[in-house]
Amino acid sequence: MDSVSHVPDVKLGGPLAPLLFDHSQDGSASMKLNDLSLGILVLLSGVGIYLSALQFSPIPGQAYGAETMPTTIALVAIGLGVFMIGKAVVVRNAAPVLALADWTRSPMALVGLSVAIGLVVFYILFSQAIGFVPTAFLVIVTLMLTLRTRPVTAILVSLLATIVIQQAFGRLLLVPLPRSALGFLW
Amino acid sequence: MSVIVEAFGLVFQPNVLLVILGSACFGMFVGAIPGLTATMATALLVPITFFMDPVPAIGAIVTATAMAIFAGDIPGALLRMPGTPASAAYVEDAYRMTRSGRSEESLGAALVFSAIGGIFGTIVLVTASPALAEVALKFSSFEYFWLVVLGLSCAVFVSPGSVTRGIISLLIGLFAATIGIDNPAGEPRYTFGNVELLAGVQFIPAMIGLFAVSEVLRSVVSRSERPPVPPSSGDGIFRSQWTNLKRYPVQVLRGSVLGTAIGALPGAGADIAAWISYAVSKRFSKQPQKFGTGHVEGLVEAGASNNGAVSGAWIPALVFGIPGDSITAIVIGVLYIKGLNPGPTIFINDPQLIYAVFIVFFLANIIMLPLGWVAIKSAGTILAVPERVLMPIILMFCIVGSFAINNSIFGVILMLIFGVLGFLMDENDIPIAPAILGLVLGPMLEQNFITSMIKADGSFLAFFERPIAAGLGLFTIAIWCLPLIAMMIARRKRTAPGPNAPD
Repeated sequence: MDSVSHVPDVKLGGPLAPLLFDHSQDGSASMKLNDLSLGILVLLSGVGIYLSALQFSPIPGQAYGAETMPTTIALVAIGLGVFMIGKAVVVRNAAPVLALADWTRSPMALVGLSVAIGLVVFYILFSQAIGFVPTAFLVIVTLMLTLRTRPVTAILVSLLATIVIQQAFGRLLLVPLPRSALGFLW
Repeated sequence: MSVIVEAFGLVFQPNVLLVILGSACFGMFVGAIPGLTATMATALLVPITFFMDPVPAIGAIVTATAMAIFAGDIPGALLRMPGTPASAAYVEDAYRMTRSGRSEESLGAALVFSAIGGIFGTIVLVTASPALAEVALKFSSFEYFWLVVLGLSCAVFVSPGSVTRGIISLLIGLFAATIGIDNPAGEPRYTFGNVELLAGVQFIPAMIGLFAVSEVLRSVVSRSERPPVPPSSGDGIFRSQWTNLKRYPVQVLRGSVLGTAIGALPGAGADIAAWISYAVSKRFSKQPQKFGTGHVEGLVEAGASNNGAVSGAWIPALVFGIPGDSITAIVIGVLYIKGLNPGPTIFINDPQLIYAVFIVFFLANIIMLPLGWVAIKSAGTILAVPERVLMPIILMFCIVGSFAINNSIFGVILMLIFGVLGFLMDENDIPIAPAILGLVLGPMLEQNFITSMIKADGSFLAFFERPIAAGLGLFTIAIWCLPLIAMMIARRKRTAPGPNAPD
């Protein structure tokens, strides 16, 4: 394997960049909106925040209040959105609306991502009902298996990690982790 | 004097020392694993420090970050994979030294000059901050308003990535900060009738989401197997460093000074310090052509610089309550939760606490040497822990940490939202640091603006009427103009006939 591929994509940009660094290599490896669509998104968010800020009122007797901050954020977002759209139209970059990263073509990566997010949702929904220990064990072991850890390692390490986390937070720091119906470890 | 004795008493207690040692090992481990950053180490530590007294809590964060910034050099030198972004600047030199059988010299230089840079930064922190705090006591809402704006501007204009994307990130953070009832008008905003949102976006779950969960998601989609670690080579970790110190005294000093200064700048941290110091080192070197080929000079300077920045970032954090980087942004959030208001009054109300933090800084940079030695020697074992085993455990740790702050599942929901948000931001090259600064500084910005406007009876000119406020205001506006100036210089460079064309 070529060792070059291990270097993460670290770039230093900002206004000082042209004075200090030269990074002509600009490989994209992400799921990226182009400048035009990002600009439209920023503009729409700005308009949305502006409209929603109309419901807030100033401090009685003052010109400013609860609406000041959201309105300011909205105006900056609208300005920025218009700037980005204008710049994208002038430059006419050929980048697609949504450039899909290499990983989006890999079923493994997509499954991994959905499983990781799904497991957190699973914890949110069921930890109170099933209790911490079984839920935590299921979350860890499922993600490990999804990432292709060897089953024996996955089960042993998950069990150990669950117990350590439960003891550290539940016993030592007295966090009221959801109790399991089985009363296991409590 | 009694304050200092009291501070020593606070630090030199068995449980505090144990916490420092434990977090040092934790920081070394996290820093040494590529993909786990110093900021993530802090994010993962916070739920635990939540249950501690202020001194061990802050001590744990100080020690872990100092170690993590050094330890990031280990996989950089051995595998050409910087462990933290702050090690990326000189990874080429460090790796090539390993390839030519000098891994111990390269890592030894990283270790020794990290410690020197860190201690230099600490000395500046110790001497400058009480004096600055004296000045800061005279500040009113006008000065604080400008300081906050300056911090946020630096985060956008000096940090990695494009300025427009930096502003997007900042707006996300500021918007999240508007949620809740905690605003000058006391009106609930964007709570959608949710009682838990009335108190605002809980800081710790948001931060765990942005810095840790997003990294877990990132590693799940772009899994990479780490190559085997080459065996340790060369003639000792510490042996050649004396020679390096004698050969490059100016570089060490320049790296330490510049790193501390960049760290002290609100919004810029260790990674930017390392990049700039490496560039400066190359520019002023007698052998610039050797940079990038396994030359130790840039490593010495930038290695001192990034650890100097870790200490320097605490100057604005402690003196003004304005974070110098995302790590100190987290620390400021922690201080608020602990009921301590960072800012000049902390130097009057709790001076023993401040001195205790200083002592921890020195301790951390001193124990870095033996612990770093152990970490370098055991790099093979640390790097053998595969990501596919580590990441699921980190995810569970994030869940429990987010839950533990308020003992509420709502924290986990927030963590997930911010985790996915952080992942999408990263995918779109939107930096995360401005968002976290916006989240921490948003309420302060709003409070100081409204207070100032009430005091000034609605006149904007009042923001320039006091001398220090005017100075800060002009400086901030100058930073806003920076992109235009840089663009003009870049354009002139591009139209110039050659790189060495006469002016």
